[in-house]
Amino acid sequence: MRGRPQLVGYAWSIGAAAVATLAGIAMQPRFDVVNIAMVYLLAVVIVALRYTRGAAIAAAILSVATFDYLFVPPRGTFSVGDLQYLLTFAIMLAVALIVSRLVESVRRQAATQASLAIEAETERIRSALLASISHDLRTPLAVMAGASSSLAESGDRLDPAERQALAASIFRQVRDLSDQVAKVLQMTRLETGAMRIERDWTSLGEIVESVLARLRERLASHRVIVELPDDLPLVRIDATLVEQALGNLLENCAKHTPPDTVVRIRVQRRAGDVVVTVEDYAGGLSDADFARLFAKFHHGTAEGAGGGVGLGLAICRAIVRLHDGQAWAERIPGGGTAFRFTLPLEPAPAMPQEIG
Amino acid sequence: MPSNRATVLVVEDEPEIRRFLRAALGVEGYRVVESATGRRGCIDAGTHKPDLAIVDLALPDLDGVDVIRRIREWSPMPIIVLSARTQERAKIEALDAGADDYVMKPFGVGELLARVRAALRHAVRPASGVPQLRFGGAIIDLEHRRATRAGEDVHLTPIEFRLLATLAKHAGMVVTHRELLTQVWGPTHAADTHYLRIYMKQLRDKLERDPVRPAHLVTETGVGYRLVADQ
Repeated sequence: MRGRPQLVGYAWSIGAAAVATLAGIAMQPRFDVVNIAMVYLLAVVIVALRYTRGAAIAAAILSVATFDYLFVPPRGTFSVGDLQYLLTFAIMLAVALIVSRLVESVRRQAATQASLAIEAETERIRSALLASISHDLRTPLAVMAGASSSLAESGDRLDPAERQALAASIFRQVRDLSDQVAKVLQMTRLETGAMRIERDWTSLGEIVESVLARLRERLASHRVIVELPDDLPLVRIDATLVEQALGNLLENCAKHTPPDTVVRIRVQRRAGDVVVTVEDYAGGLSDADFARLFAKFHHGTAEGAGGGVGLGLAICRAIVRLHDGQAWAERIPGGGTAFRFTLPLEPAPAMPQEIG
Repeated sequence: MPSNRATVLVVEDEPEIRRFLRAALGVEGYRVVESATGRRGCIDAGTHKPDLAIVDLALPDLDGVDVIRRIREWSPMPIIVLSARTQERAKIEALDAGADDYVMKPFGVGELLARVRAALRHAVRPASGVPQLRFGGAIIDLEHRRATRAGEDVHLTPIEFRLLATLAKHAGMVVTHRELLTQVWGPTHAADTHYLRIYMKQLRDKLERDPVRPAHLVTETGVGYRLVADQ
């Protein structure tokens, strides 16, 4: 990776000397030789600013050589008639070295600052994730330790119904826990930019279908309404990720609204995009709660306790942003919350017509 | 106690996972052969001639996908893949390499056993010759290309029939986008996923009771589709 830019730098030093030479030849009839030297100096400074010190020195040497050969009397030789031209050469080299050194130190500082910023960001993400892990994982782990040790140590003394209930509870907790761990991993990958999205033409109807199937149990106590226009266009998205984004919004509803709440999933087509909305009509959210949720959704941070919620919403938002969409939350007049995100529309791909 | 004692090969390096698989499969009456490495699994597949193989994708020595390729060189036995959530790509690769279905870790045994049953059923009675397909009030005669829903005739286009027939051949199991596109439209269209989206919607509109929440023409997001037919 390093070799190529360096070669480019040397190519530019040759180019810069050549351009300066052409300018010098054009200037020669009307300008002093000293001014031609200035043109060469400019060429050297430009190369020193943009490329490595090696390239700058090369530019300086090339410039001095061509300047000497073409413009310094006696012309057509590399010998120097006047002593003052030696000073010109020395200054040209010195300028090349000084400028490239300055540029290098500025570059190094910028790089250090960037890596410091990344480090700080990584640290912030790490502590936010740790906070959410310790908060959300402790209870399920405690339940699992208790229930499984009861089974292992005194399973034979428990009646079958009791045994089954304990085992079922372990299974439930494990599933939640594994979801949680998956979310933490997902968030880490999203925030560190390690996520690659694989776009393909996708039907949002199928996304809704597959989310509802996956969350069937969790949404069983809620009343889910789906509003999908029949002529919804296909979108070019990473289906797996957008399925997660929508799923997280629905899980959020399931977790934070009472049973029997109406949850509406709506997909609407607009001029350049589609809007996916998850609305609940729970109406019970206090101003403070809403503000907190809203902040998590909008800033995409996983900070604070109750990380499960924050994490799910933050992941949703990060996924939507990867798709060049927007995500936001609104209060519904009359009580309720709406989470919305957009996905850009692209011209529909060609489809052969079938006669049948 | 079960009369039909099918042999299941489990290729999985984690002993704790083999332990519960052994227990769950044993209770259902299957004979279980265990291999802790990919190479061992390839050998056991040859010597024990199992009726079905369960292959973990993350093995220490060989890639799970390679194990599937090696088995596929000589055997059509159903293969079910165990994959982690982070192995999206590998999972699809495994299916395209010849695996019949997958289960995501962590999974409940109920889910795995359902997949095992579907795959064994398919192996015993290869669905290629199944003339009739029934699900949710729809009856499709693949041989004579006739379809009815709730007793009424439904018109299906030739491509819709072909798509349905391809899904039916693997009834109960997942079929990848690539497989469906290749079978129905030909290898030059293997990446034209939008064809599938549009035709699957047409099929659902014509055959499903609730096309928004289909019960039989099911989407496997990012992977493909699964036909859940009546047994």
